[in-house]
Amino acid sequence: MRQPTPDDGPGAAADAAPARPRYDWSALPHGARGAVSVAGLVMALSFTGFGAFAHAVEFPLPAALATIPLIWALPGQVVFVDLWQNGAAVAVIAIAVSLTAVRLLPMSVLVLSGARLPGARRLPEFVLAHFIALTLWVLSNTGLERIERRRRLPWLIGAALTLMVAMAGFTTAGYLIADRLPPVLAATMVFFTPAFFMLSLFAGARWRFDYAAIGLGAALGPAAALVAPEWDLLIAGLVGGTAAFLLLRPRRRGLIK
Amino acid sequence: MSQSWPIIAAMLVAGFAVTYVWRVLAVIAVGAADPESEVLLWVRAVATALVAALVMRILFHPTGMLADTHLWTRLAAMAAGIAVFFLARRSADIGLAAAIVLFVVLQTI
Repeated sequence: MRQPTPDDGPGAAADAAPARPRYDWSALPHGARGAVSVAGLVMALSFTGFGAFAHAVEFPLPAALATIPLIWALPGQVVFVDLWQNGAAVAVIAIAVSLTAVRLLPMSVLVLSGARLPGARRLPEFVLAHFIALTLWVLSNTGLERIERRRRLPWLIGAALTLMVAMAGFTTAGYLIADRLPPVLAATMVFFTPAFFMLSLFAGARWRFDYAAIGLGAALGPAAALVAPEWDLLIAGLVGGTAAFLLLRPRRRGLIK
Repeated sequence: MSQSWPIIAAMLVAGFAVTYVWRVLAVIAVGAADPESEVLLWVRAVATALVAALVMRILFHPTGMLADTHLWTRLAAMAAGIAVFFLARRSADIGLAAAIVLFVVLQTI
């Protein structure tokens, strides 16, 4: 809660000042309905696959469910589960998970700039930020413009909370049915996750350097795994990404919507 | 449940904190910084390459039930999904469906 300061201009401190912009929280339940979407369906299949994956590597279900509210980004969740079961040190897991979360920074900046109400309290932005991941980014890209500005942030939080609860259900379902599934179907559920990641990368690519980053990361990852198995993602990300950026980055400004 | 508590405790640091820090940085950045800065484009490129590498790691070194499938099945299905994505005018949904269908078919035959 910030007190009015002289920076707010004349009259801002008086009670005659124009009311500070406020979010319209009645949009929360509308967001909950907005979560029922193609993006939500894809997410549900991915989380069913995540549940099956956790079961396959014998990661306990309660801990698998805890990754949902705590991490809330599937690549980070998969990396955490995978490295933990492989006995990696907590520091190594922290670095690896954090690296997969770096992409959330630009993604969150884009979602927030589309949803935030300039001049309003900033605390809700810190709440929304925790929910931002690939699916919410897709939802905000496709549905946000039709929503009144002061309803956008509550709408997204409503959608994210709904998705979070639903994904706990789908993860549990995937975990429990993993045994009973025919092997073909079980493998397919797990395959869903990398396929969804890869196609989401292509769907989100806008410039040549995005495609270059995908190609170089995909090529360097397996190569780096041969040399330094624990650091393959870091090496592929930094080397491949930096090379793509230096070679093909857009030269003119105003390219990011 | 008892075996989960140590994992969840570690997750607060090695999962939650290290993930949320990037989201908090975004809140700070969006209030102050220029979203068109070159630094963000570089971060975007690194993140993209990193996730692509993560996908390849899962395809090349899968765990669990996916490990019972052939490497070529996984790679062919992925490649088909990408090809169909472009043929279907950059539809991720159709590309994904194509990858899954081919993956099932290749395993069944």
